Amino acid sequence: MKRTSEDGQSKLPDNTALKQQQLPAYRLQLSATGVLSCFFATGVFCLGMGIILILSAKSIKEIEIKYTKICGNCAKLREDATNFDKECTCSIPFYLSETMQVKGEREEIQAYTFLFTVSSCIQDVGNCAPFSKSHDGTPIAPCGAIANSIFNDTIILSYKLNSSIPIKVPMLRSGITWWTDKYVKFQNPSSINLSSAFAGTTKPPCWAKPVYELDGEDPGNNGFLNDDFIVWMRTAAFPTFKKLYRRLNRIQYFIEGLPAGNYSFNITYNFPVTRFKGEKSVVLSTLTWSGGSSLFLGLVYTVTGAVTWLASFSMMAVHLTLKDRKVLFIQQ
Amino acid sequence: MFCSEKKSLEVERIVKANDREYNEKFQYADNRIHTSKYSILTFLPINLFEQFQKVANAYFLFLLLLQLIPEISSLTWFTTIVPLVLVITMTAVKDATDDYFRHKSDNQVNNRLSEVLLDSKLQNEKWMNVKVGDIIKLENNQFVAADLLLLSSSEPHGLCYIETAELDGETNLKVRHALSVTSELGADFSRLAKFDGIVVCEAPNNKLDKFTGVLSWKDSKHSLNNENIILRGCILRNTSWCFGMVIFAGPDTKLMQNSGKTKFKRTSIDRLMNTLVLWIFGFLVCLGIILAIGNSIWENQVGDQFRTFLFWNEGKKNSLFSGFLTFWSYIIILNTVVPISLYVSMEVIRLGHSYFINWDRKMYYSGKSTPAEARTTTLNEELGQIEYVFSDKTGTLTQNIMTFKKCSINGKIYGEVRDDMGQKTDITKKNEPVDFSVNPQADRTFQFFDHRLMESVKLGDSKVYEFLRLLALCHTVMSEENSAGQLIYQVQSPDEGALVTAARNFGFIFKSRTPETITVEELGTLVTYQLLAFLDFNNIRKRMSVIVRNPEGQIKLYSKGADTILFEKLHPSNEDLLTLTTDHLSEFAGEGLRTLAIAYRDLDDKYFKEWHQMLEDANALMDERDERIAGLYEEIERDLMLLGATAVEDKLQEGVIETITSLSLANIKIWVLTGDKQETAINIGYACNMLTDDMNDVFIIAGNTAVEVREELRKAKENLFGQNRSSSNGHVVFEKQQLELDSVVEETITGDYALVINGHSLAHALESDVKNDLLELACMCKTVVCCRVTPLQKAQVVELVKNCRNAVTLAIGDGANDVSMIKSAHIGVGISGQEGLQAVLASDYSFAQFRYLQRLLLVHGRWSYFRMCKFLCYFFYKNFAFTLVHFWFGFFCGFSAQTVYDQWFITLFNIVYTSLPVLAMGIFDQPLTGRGSTSNISQWDFLKRICQCSSWDPIQQVQGHPTSRKGNLVCPLSSCLCCFFFGCFCSTPGPPVSSVDVSDQSSMDYPQLYEPGQLNLLFNKRKFFICMAHGIYTSLALFFIPYGAFHNVAGEDGQHIADYQSFAVTMATSLVIVVSVQIALDTSYWTVINHVFIWGSVATYFSILFTMHSNGIFGMFPNQFPFVGNARHSLTQKCIWLVILLTTVASVVPVVVLRFLKMDLCPTLSDRIRQRQKAQKKARPLRSRRPQTRRSSSRRSGYAFAHQEGYGELITSGKNMRAKNPPLTSGLEKTLYNSTSWIENFCKKTTDTVSSFSQDKTVKL
Repeated sequence: MKRTSEDGQSKLPDNTALKQQQLPAYRLQLSATGVLSCFFATGVFCLGMGIILILSAKSIKEIEIKYTKICGNCAKLREDATNFDKECTCSIPFYLSETMQVKGEREEIQAYTFLFTVSSCIQDVGNCAPFSKSHDGTPIAPCGAIANSIFNDTIILSYKLNSSIPIKVPMLRSGITWWTDKYVKFQNPSSINLSSAFAGTTKPPCWAKPVYELDGEDPGNNGFLNDDFIVWMRTAAFPTFKKLYRRLNRIQYFIEGLPAGNYSFNITYNFPVTRFKGEKSVVLSTLTWSGGSSLFLGLVYTVTGAVTWLASFSMMAVHLTLKDRKVLFIQQ
Repeated sequence: MFCSEKKSLEVERIVKANDREYNEKFQYADNRIHTSKYSILTFLPINLFEQFQKVANAYFLFLLLLQLIPEISSLTWFTTIVPLVLVITMTAVKDATDDYFRHKSDNQVNNRLSEVLLDSKLQNEKWMNVKVGDIIKLENNQFVAADLLLLSSSEPHGLCYIETAELDGETNLKVRHALSVTSELGADFSRLAKFDGIVVCEAPNNKLDKFTGVLSWKDSKHSLNNENIILRGCILRNTSWCFGMVIFAGPDTKLMQNSGKTKFKRTSIDRLMNTLVLWIFGFLVCLGIILAIGNSIWENQVGDQFRTFLFWNEGKKNSLFSGFLTFWSYIIILNTVVPISLYVSMEVIRLGHSYFINWDRKMYYSGKSTPAEARTTTLNEELGQIEYVFSDKTGTLTQNIMTFKKCSINGKIYGEVRDDMGQKTDITKKNEPVDFSVNPQADRTFQFFDHRLMESVKLGDSKVYEFLRLLALCHTVMSEENSAGQLIYQVQSPDEGALVTAARNFGFIFKSRTPETITVEELGTLVTYQLLAFLDFNNIRKRMSVIVRNPEGQIKLYSKGADTILFEKLHPSNEDLLTLTTDHLSEFAGEGLRTLAIAYRDLDDKYFKEWHQMLEDANALMDERDERIAGLYEEIERDLMLLGATAVEDKLQEGVIETITSLSLANIKIWVLTGDKQETAINIGYACNMLTDDMNDVFIIAGNTAVEVREELRKAKENLFGQNRSSSNGHVVFEKQQLELDSVVEETITGDYALVINGHSLAHALESDVKNDLLELACMCKTVVCCRVTPLQKAQVVELVKNCRNAVTLAIGDGANDVSMIKSAHIGVGISGQEGLQAVLASDYSFAQFRYLQRLLLVHGRWSYFRMCKFLCYFFYKNFAFTLVHFWFGFFCGFSAQTVYDQWFITLFNIVYTSLPVLAMGIFDQPLTGRGSTSNISQWDFLKRICQCSSWDPIQQVQGHPTSRKGNLVCPLSSCLCCFFFGCFCSTPGPPVSSVDVSDQSSMDYPQLYEPGQLNLLFNKRKFFICMAHGIYTSLALFFIPYGAFHNVAGEDGQHIADYQSFAVTMATSLVIVVSVQIALDTSYWTVINHVFIWGSVATYFSILFTMHSNGIFGMFPNQFPFVGNARHSLTQKCIWLVILLTTVASVVPVVVLRFLKMDLCPTLSDRIRQRQKAQKKARPLRSRRPQTRRSSSRRSGYAFAHQEGYGELITSGKNMRAKNPPLTSGLEKTLYNSTSWIENFCKKTTDTVSSFSQDKTVKL
């Protein structure tokens, strides 16, 4: 008999809070007014943020020049692929009316996002189809459709200080890439001479120069570590995108930004867009605390804030109505 | 194949005893039973086949195959195969274990030993090797191995006693007897071995009470009937040995024929999920087609030009073909709407709930130290949707213990406990039971609380003496003395046992009997009565009498029987006493006690002699014998003097009434299906408050032919529906209108009705043309009692309700006779702790007491359902939000089937980032329930309720309107309003709610809370669409806000942030934050675990994100982790955080606000308040509700006498009395008079049982 009672003891489930589903549960203490004020606070925050964002977006000074049509001749020339080694430049003069604190300067083209991700390794051609190997079987470096379609226009901004002499606006080509892209993700093959490192590979079909000769001025800016290449390889999320081209170097006349006056863009037109009805533009823009924010975010914040407020008011209305009903109810 | 074909053709069975070769010709099944599904070889193919029949598994397999095609694979194959293999393996292992246990129990049964007569010797043979035609020997208390023809037994005249509890649930012993020709064989092996009779009988069937056959032996034929057969599953009792010849073995036995097939049980949510998976797949196909068309157009319009720009001429594709490939790619990408982790999580949640059931101390029965057990882990949430409960009676509702409760002697009630004021009170612990210690022979377990009866005995009240003497004389009990000198009564009806024991304790001890005498110890002196005649019980007479001569020479007739019958036989002088006793009887009956009236008559010698002579003459008659005897019995049983009445309680299990009351408040209909007699069943119905006198009508269907039954049903229906129905029948009504009318009628029926139907009628009523009538009638009734039903009929009734009403059913029972019902109901519950195991083995849940059903359903079931629904709603929401982003992105990426997120994020999202919080909610969440007083509801609850419009149920039912279910359906929003209203009551913050004991207690206190489950309110197709819409909205916000914000935007340092990878990270981060906020709002019961999981998940997300985007891991696997530096760069941008914040606010706030405003839309506010008031009034007294005994009307138990005919004859013939020195064959002597006689075995069994009255209790196995 004793044994069975012991057995019984062992069969009796433990009296722990977990097993008896009685874990202490925490519940925050919020009053109805608390809830409503939370809503109001959210609304205020969103409205405030929206207004700030809108104001800062408005404060951005931006000049956008769509140059596909302006450089129509070049565009036409580029439509025929066989002419890719013919140089074509066009100059676009414009007037900058007031002082801009230009930190950077970007060009914008219309293009598509691509399916293929970058392969940083020369020999790995697995993901690069159909641009992995040239017709004779030598591997393409860098491979893939994205690399093949690199943006290869050169844009030079010049400032006409006087009526005649144009000054080339000094531009920085450094600092336009992410640190990680430049120092971690992209690496040149370890070899003393780049050209020998890339021996046995061929350039992508659209490219005018092989990858190790991209920048004639700065030997360190060649191979996979070329800044323009890295920028291009950071694939955009959407078909319409802006990419940073150069930053303004604040020296000489340009310490305070770009002074008002006559400017012109001299563009070496290489990148063909008309065949797929694309458009290219070049944008001069200032930045704000939140980057080059667009109006969209500010507007949506404002709308959300307004809606939240509306909702709070209606909730309060319900609350008050029901309070009245409660009195009624008690009277009954 | 051949075998089964043969079986179906079997029309009659020919078996020759002791001739295996002869019997082999017919290829009868041997005695091996299989309940298992697989063998080692067939396991893999069959199990896999079964598993892939699940829509979900097939779906994932299909996706897996798609992913293996490189052209369209947009996700890596391991995202699907790993979880799929995991799921399949888990299920397979579970199935294998289940089947292993089935094999084990089969083996255990198959390997039981029985003694078979082979080659003139008794040999131990395993059960499975027993063949048809074998002669086997059974010993006392052994299970019968197969269906046997009884040949001979240790008892005189080839009698044997069996207990058939396993088969039909009846616990009284039954007598079977051998044919006289075979009983002569005795235990003589040589003669038995030479026995070569041929039995020709019916083919195997499931009729337990019918058998027809002919035995041809020694050139003569003997007809066989059910009386000669002992069935597998019975237990031999009171018979030291018997020999039988196997007629049906193994699967052909009536027991096996009666057990329903094991079915794979699935919950209604599972079935709904199957439908939803199909729908979702259809939805996917639609999305895929849209995107594929988009792709074809894009390829056609833009792609070509684009390709020439890239000099990509060699990769030129046909735009249609490209669209085709894109279609499949998108099917793969979008498949995460139904992720496999959903199924895994569902299983985990159910497993958790099962453990909670196993761990519940409140469902632990200390009496038998049995905890509740969830034997299947896949049905938990269905426990919250039960609409019909089918309950066995014996052993489930009742303890099968009869207690002598009250009596009325000479117009005086004994057995009531009165307080000092003379008011009746309930028996409490304070009351001292009567002390029987003066009487050494008293049964210790007997308790009686009214001291006046003992005082009357001491005072020497002659009427009381006569009353007790009658109880001690007029019965069929057999007595034995055990080794300790204690009297043991062997009863075949527990009622009688109770009466005889009562007499014994009050000093009239029935000591022993012979065919001619009865010895009673009357207050210490032994008195031997001469038994002159025994007027046996039968169903028509409903009474039994004995005629005895006491030592003084007086002849007395003692009679006990149904009051209605007996009162007609009384002497006119009894009129005053009669009215008094009638009142008492009504009172007893009102309390659900089983009553008997008791009377005697003094006979003078001469009259008796004449009568006796006539009786003997009548006995000698060949024809009209029974009529004559009946007439003579009538003749002598008249002018009786009323002594009083007895009331015996068929002891209900603890808490049965409360459980039944609260289950019916939860709108669960309880049907009692019992193999027992109609009277007993009805009686129990009253005792459990299932039948009450307040009921408008109790329909009793007891017809014997199909026509009668139909007529009775029709009448009952007419009665029920009144003129309403019959008038409409006069016109030509379209079927549809008729249906509408029916539903109207259903609504308009007020008042409570009950239906009692017996097995014979049920057999006819279950025929296809009548069964709808039956169902309609039964479902209108508050209570349905089916009595005298066979196990198969039980299953049929369950099936009927299950299929035709589309309701979720639960069957609860304890014996083998309940197995088929347990198997066929959606959920089978077995009462464990009893000796038989079959019911438990077949069940899905088991516990020791019926009352735990309340907790199982109202707490565990309700919670499981609630949790599962919340889980599903959230899961679907989450995955729609997660996946549909790809669809929107398709329009901006040239329909190229590019994923928005990192592959790693897609792989981990469901498994790591979001699985644990929702699991914690699914396992630990508890519905917030009102605690009765509004002031205790904190404001947080109020907020929670707003946030959980999808799970409003609790308050709705408490403050809502338990009576009108339609109302809830029409306006589920009303409840929301009520909740809000409810919340507003308490603008003062209450003390911290320590939720301990709150939620589960209120679930029990407000059974109405159960209703949403029955109505399927918390997760249904509508809810699914709401979740889907919610998910779609969130995905829109998730995609288009970042899209707008990223459009042509630069980072703080002028570098670009609008690249694909940053976009992916932003979206993923917003998604994780949004779904975490949502789960935080959905979780109503924040335990530590919830905190850890919710915060932990967000933390895990960020740590994994930063790890995967770190330089180190890129250095190791540059190809697998191309997102290097992304998190670092993106998440330091203010702009990106602003986007994430905005996305979160935009996705969460409207949902909260919408849910809030929904409440505003409810039209009839004041109605709701009034109803709420009513509901509260109604609900309040519930807590203190106790079984009420206010009934005072005239319902009387007609005859509550679980008694069988034929025992009187046995007694007077002395057949069942063992001669002091029986002529025994030497071989058997030892076994017979060994110390292990049946009495001792019997005692052993009974001492184990806790409750009182052990000696008189027939053990139920």
